[in-house]
Amino acid sequence: MVRNYISNILLWLILVVAIIWTLIPVIWMISLSFKPYGEWRTPSLLPQKPTLDNYIMLFWPKSASVFIAYTALLEPITDSLIRSLIVSVLATLIAVIIGFFTAYGASRYNSPGPFTLFFTLLTRMLPPATFVTPIVIYYTTLNLLDNIIGLVLLYSATTVTYAIWILKGFIDAIPVEWEEAALIEGAKPLQVIFRVVIPLARPGLVVSGLFVFLMSWTELLFALVLTRINITLPVQISMYVTAVGALWGVQAAAALLGSLIPMIVGYLIQRHLITGFTFGLVRG
Amino acid sequence: MPEKIPRSVAVLSSVPLNLLLNGVLIIPFIIMIYLAFIKWSPLMGIEWWRAPFAGISNFQRAFSDSRFIDSLGRTVLFTAIVVPLEFFIGLILAYILQKPIKGRKYLISILIYPLMLPPVVVATVFYLFFQPYGPVNNIFLRYIMGPSALDIYWFLNPSLAFITIIIADVWQWTPFMFLILYSGLSAVPRRLVEAAEVLGASGWTIFWRIRLPLIRQLIMVALILRSLEAFKVFDYIYVMTGGGPGTSTESVSLYIYRLAILYSDISYAAAVSLIVLVIILLVSRFAIRFLLERR
Repeated sequence: MVRNYISNILLWLILVVAIIWTLIPVIWMISLSFKPYGEWRTPSLLPQKPTLDNYIMLFWPKSASVFIAYTALLEPITDSLIRSLIVSVLATLIAVIIGFFTAYGASRYNSPGPFTLFFTLLTRMLPPATFVTPIVIYYTTLNLLDNIIGLVLLYSATTVTYAIWILKGFIDAIPVEWEEAALIEGAKPLQVIFRVVIPLARPGLVVSGLFVFLMSWTELLFALVLTRINITLPVQISMYVTAVGALWGVQAAAALLGSLIPMIVGYLIQRHLITGFTFGLVRG
Repeated sequence: MPEKIPRSVAVLSSVPLNLLLNGVLIIPFIIMIYLAFIKWSPLMGIEWWRAPFAGISNFQRAFSDSRFIDSLGRTVLFTAIVVPLEFFIGLILAYILQKPIKGRKYLISILIYPLMLPPVVVATVFYLFFQPYGPVNNIFLRYIMGPSALDIYWFLNPSLAFITIIIADVWQWTPFMFLILYSGLSAVPRRLVEAAEVLGASGWTIFWRIRLPLIRQLIMVALILRSLEAFKVFDYIYVMTGGGPGTSTESVSLYIYRLAILYSDISYAAAVSLIVLVIILLVSRFAIRFLLERR
């Protein structure tokens, strides 16, 4: 009993430390986003003169009086926010759907074969900086530069690796017997996939979808090189520091705002992470 | 499962993926390999397909390039430090949160928050954190060390600068490990756990003997994917230390980025990337073989 008690306290302690460790930079960012121009370099945890200027600057870049000199370049953040949302959602759908079928084939049969699977891993080994020039050359001929379809294709092709391998890990853990039972009872292979495998692999679908979404949502280098006007959110966020001078407070505000959508998504999907195996598929 | 693959499964599991990969990535990949064997830079004023062949001279140059070799060693060290750290912290947290704690949903939302931020923003935050007058020195260390804490210049000392990068990476990517392991553990059939409980196994035994082995495939996937990403570490170094002081914290990715984009030495950058690719393949071949083997 005593040992149990001590280990419980220890676990709680670890959890509390982890939460604090995660929250400190976030809290500091929140404070930074409410600090006026002159306070960005001060270390204080609370703003001396809290202001909404940074947030106003995001939506009405031309009206925030202090920054006018810098902001001629910038559009309101809503444009890039919506663009990023479209790109990320499409890339997630493509990558997860393709990734699921590939993972199923790879787990249960020998399709699409080791070479293609190996190539998916290869795509994650190349430093993106070298891949930028060939992609620009290729996209120029396809007329896909500064086009969000180009980004959707590139993101789904580079993140499908995550979808495939994470889903394969989940499908591998599903007992094969349940599918065999369904097949013996006369179900078609596709019926088995949709009625048996997909419900059981739901945590995998959810978590790989979240990862693909987040990777598309935060990807910077390719978007930076491949877009000019149709920029995505990370490009815009980075521009507050690189293109228009070090507007750290504005960048913090933009990043916090940009994290709201994935945060809501992350919160909503959580119940799907747990319920995967709880319904009574196989009795007794 | 039946030995012969049903036709619908065969088509669905290979055609869409091949279309996507071949349509988007194969041609740029071939262009990249070609670039490594020519002598071309956008500054030369000729199109890339007219550039002269360089044979293997780009590759020879890389092997005598100490800046490349150093950055390679540094990146290996970085990966070897951050991946195990992130894995074990993630595993401990995933284990703890298997218990039905009150408010678990909120705790998980907080723990995975770092994943929602673009790495470049995280890098900026930690850059500001570790300024000599930043909050780490001025608020945290000042309590412990007194005013001398303000004299710590994190980015002017190679070892300290390296540590700041590790801290930023661990902060952002431990949640990745946590989330994969947590969701994997949650998906383990309750039936198996209950059966073990009935037989009198302790929570600890169930965790080590039943749940972890069931998700070993997923653990391997998480370790490999995370290692590949850690090896490409870029944003934190680019923003926080700029590879400095000097080139003492430069990673392979940052060096390649500078070659390709700052120095416009595209051919050499492509050759270096291919060498890096081959090295990664050699190092990870056992892990990858494990993944590719059908169970």
